[in-house]
Amino acid sequence: MKITHLFNKLLVKQAVSKPKFYLTRSNAWLLWLSQLLNIALLGFELAYWMLAIILLCFCLQALRIQQNVKPDHPNPVNSQLNWLALKTVSPMVLLIFALLGCIAIAVTAKSFGILISMIHLLSFSYILKAFELRSRKDFYQLILLGFFVLASSLIFTQNLYFSILAFAVLMINLLVLLQYFSPSNRVFKNSKLQFLLLAQSSVLAVLLFLFFPRLSPFWQVPLAKSAQTGLSATVQPGDIAKLARSSELAFRVEFSEDTIPAYSQLYWRALVLDKYDGRKWSKSNEKNIWGLALFQKELKGLETLASDEAISYRVTVEPSFQPWLFALPVARTAETGIDLLPDYTLKSKRIVSQTQSYSVTSYVNQAKLRPLTKTEQRINLSYPVGSNPKLEALGAQLREQFQSPQDRALAVLTRFNELNYYYTLEPPLLVNNSLDQFFFDTKAGFCSHYASAFTFLMRSAGVPSRMVTGYMGGEINRLNAKGGSKGHLNIYQYDAHAWSEIWLKGIGWVRYDPTASVDPSRVNQGFSERLAEQRDNLDNNFFSLQSFKHFAWINNLRLTLDLLDYQWTKLVIGYSAQKQYELIKRWFGQVQSWTFGLIMVSSIVLVLLLLFFINIYLSKVRIKAKERTPWGALYSKSLTLLTKKGLTKSPDETVNHFAKQVALKFPKISKTFYKLSHLFNQLNYQQISHEQQLVLLSKMKNEFKSLNQQVNKLSYKN
Amino acid sequence: MQHIIEKVLTQIESVVLGKPRECRLALACLLAKGHLLIEDLPGMGKTTLAHQLAISLGLSYQRTQFTSDLLPSDVIGVSIFNQDTKTFELHKGPVFNQVVLGDEINRASPKTQSALLEAMAENQVSIDGVTYDLPTPFFVIATQNPLFHSGTYPLPESQLDRFMMRLSLGFPDLKAEKKILQGSDDTITGEHPNVLNSEQLIEMQQAVQNITVSSDVIDYVIALCQVSRYQFMDDKKLPQNKAVLSSGLQCAPLSPRAGKSLLAAAKAWAYIDDRDYVLPDDIQAVFYEVCQHRLEPQQYQNTAGSSSAAKQILGLVDVLNPLAY
Repeated sequence: MKITHLFNKLLVKQAVSKPKFYLTRSNAWLLWLSQLLNIALLGFELAYWMLAIILLCFCLQALRIQQNVKPDHPNPVNSQLNWLALKTVSPMVLLIFALLGCIAIAVTAKSFGILISMIHLLSFSYILKAFELRSRKDFYQLILLGFFVLASSLIFTQNLYFSILAFAVLMINLLVLLQYFSPSNRVFKNSKLQFLLLAQSSVLAVLLFLFFPRLSPFWQVPLAKSAQTGLSATVQPGDIAKLARSSELAFRVEFSEDTIPAYSQLYWRALVLDKYDGRKWSKSNEKNIWGLALFQKELKGLETLASDEAISYRVTVEPSFQPWLFALPVARTAETGIDLLPDYTLKSKRIVSQTQSYSVTSYVNQAKLRPLTKTEQRINLSYPVGSNPKLEALGAQLREQFQSPQDRALAVLTRFNELNYYYTLEPPLLVNNSLDQFFFDTKAGFCSHYASAFTFLMRSAGVPSRMVTGYMGGEINRLNAKGGSKGHLNIYQYDAHAWSEIWLKGIGWVRYDPTASVDPSRVNQGFSERLAEQRDNLDNNFFSLQSFKHFAWINNLRLTLDLLDYQWTKLVIGYSAQKQYELIKRWFGQVQSWTFGLIMVSSIVLVLLLLFFINIYLSKVRIKAKERTPWGALYSKSLTLLTKKGLTKSPDETVNHFAKQVALKFPKISKTFYKLSHLFNQLNYQQISHEQQLVLLSKMKNEFKSLNQQVNKLSYKN
Repeated sequence: MQHIIEKVLTQIESVVLGKPRECRLALACLLAKGHLLIEDLPGMGKTTLAHQLAISLGLSYQRTQFTSDLLPSDVIGVSIFNQDTKTFELHKGPVFNQVVLGDEINRASPKTQSALLEAMAENQVSIDGVTYDLPTPFFVIATQNPLFHSGTYPLPESQLDRFMMRLSLGFPDLKAEKKILQGSDDTITGEHPNVLNSEQLIEMQQAVQNITVSSDVIDYVIALCQVSRYQFMDDKKLPQNKAVLSSGLQCAPLSPRAGKSLLAAAKAWAYIDDRDYVLPDDIQAVFYEVCQHRLEPQQYQNTAGSSSAAKQILGLVDVLNPLAY
């Protein structure tokens, strides 16, 4: 009670002036709910202080609805409904509050980035707008703002489930609107009606989606500063083990040929790390002009290769907010917006902030033949001397013991295999990331430990070598396998992997995966049972369907959902201007760009015309259903004329009574309207012959014509 | 005929000053062959109106003052043994007049009240096993005091239903009151000759019956009756859009007889208006007087305010689409 009293004193001015805007109680709550849901979908993007403000506003709003004002003159037709007029909030208080909020947003804008601050501003205004519902216009604005808020939540997530959720919330938003116009209907009945309406309009939506020109945007949504996921630019020995606990999707691959390479061949390269500072691996940023020139030459050489050497596939990456992309070795792509780096990795020109797909051709069996430049040799042999003395000593020993680099590498791999090395997701902590400690003492680690130690050893043994991170393997979803396609491949974060490449004279860069020596199952079929169990124990996502893989039907369900999500990503989100062009080409044959434009424009015009005529037809049907008689139709037309002038006949009013009202308000048209009303009465209530009816009806039509003219004249004078 | 109606009305209005609507309603009631109940405080002109109606229409009438010790035989009549002829002779009571003016009907005991009301329903009376027809036309014009007055016996609902209309005169406006006070006491008697005779009245009643009622108007009457019945109906039978009607309205339901009376009264109203067809306007004009005492029999005050059930029901029905809620 006290709080509400305080609230009254602080914020609420009692409705002094007659409020003009009414809602039914149920609709007010529905509006409140829709606002709550709209904001909830954006919740993760908003700062805590903003969420706190919004929550406070919601509480105040709920109080306002509780303490509504009974309107003085509710709609007479629906006077039995529970109408309420919200108490008004003083505009001064609102203005001050809005200004304070804007200042707060402006102050934090620097750290949030433009997009997030704009979304804060949008949400904030959306919440405040609910406090100044004074007229129907405000109500419309609020609903419209709600659509914007809802749409902006789709900037951040676009997967199928979220889209369905957003659609459901959209339904509630629309329901508020529908409930406003037919308040006496039950919510359930209105939602049925709304479902019908949406089903009808979805046809239009599909057409627009397919054919509306996808103009390149005049302005682009600024990049969101969001948490980066997936592989990072630097790798410390323990890093990938942490990543391997996540069962989030990293990317999907669909092969265009009917073969999917063997599991052990699926090394998705992302980053080549060739600089080691004793603690972590990173990319050296030394300029290497010679290497670049050689690389260009090599790329040209690839073009001449036989096409049966190549594997083509399409990769769809989930947003990682990092630039690197994934491909099998020696990849080529013709996509603009993707750079091919001399280390044979792909890099997007923009950060991957949305689901993005690209097609790649890989020459898996092709060695990377290009000779090593001096710079490259230096980089790939350097290591901080003295950082791991025991390993360095072992490297020197290897160099003496074996002539060829292959033998040196083999010796290390044999050691991993034969001695008691252990592959685990929970590696013991190392002091200062000491590789010595791992190699000689703990002997337990994840892929990055083995790859680090191996690369380090190779370097100290005088073999150019480097660390590669990426993903290994993937899960095949064969549910959509038919015809040429064998289904698609899902690569999850737990497939993250690290391995080594060493440079062999005459052969080039060759992949060496020390993990294969320690835990061969990892590179042949994925996580061994023991490792998977370990992962599930670490993964605190109890509800993840991943952990129920061994139940066949759950696994099936998971794969089906995955397929749906994939199709959604591929077909709906990935429907670009290019794809649109291809589709139209497929349907209409080769088309010039102007014909293309013509098809689009004409399809839109066609749809609009269709809608227009359907509307006219429907309104005629509606009139027929309501006014079974021509005079009834004529009378209701003249009522429409007068409604436009602000005079509405209430349903319980008789024709004569309304004619008197008209005479009071518009004396100039009273004579004609009296005549018209009288004719209607005669036609509707008097028992007359058909001939008489026709005579009276034509008279009534004449009266209507002159009424129409007179009403129009009214508007010129007023 | 119209000029005669006009004449009758002017005559009545010259006596009952400042109440043209009530005079019209009373006349409509009689033209529709209905009985009239006039309820108001003492001294508001109830008896004057009843009296003048009888005079203007040229009907034989007798006034009976109802008191608590009035017996049924005082109203109906009694058979008395004639010593000379050695037979029972009927001494007809006041009920054998064309117009029976029952003054302060609710002061009489229920037994006496029902004797009169039986006559109203059947148009005949039985005395000692012999049935006597009452004259035509036969009207009962009853007046009553508001029931909160002491010494009154309320008429039960079933008997209230026999009256086509219940009128309430209300206070006159200032002008009319001044005229009343200036006027002489004997305005009523003598000066006003009969305008009509009973044959003409019967003819008029016939004409009223022949007035056209379109099915739209009948729908409107049905819709009005339906609304009053919603609270007694099964939820499933209610129209879909009952939210409009569900709350607030508390009243007794209107019977089909009420609907019939409503139509009859509306026809008479149209006739007085010189029309040969009924409009929804006519229904609305007589609705309050015809239906209010059926809807809210226990509400004895002059409830012309907006909250009366009759007004509410009128507000709930769409005139042009009565049955399409």
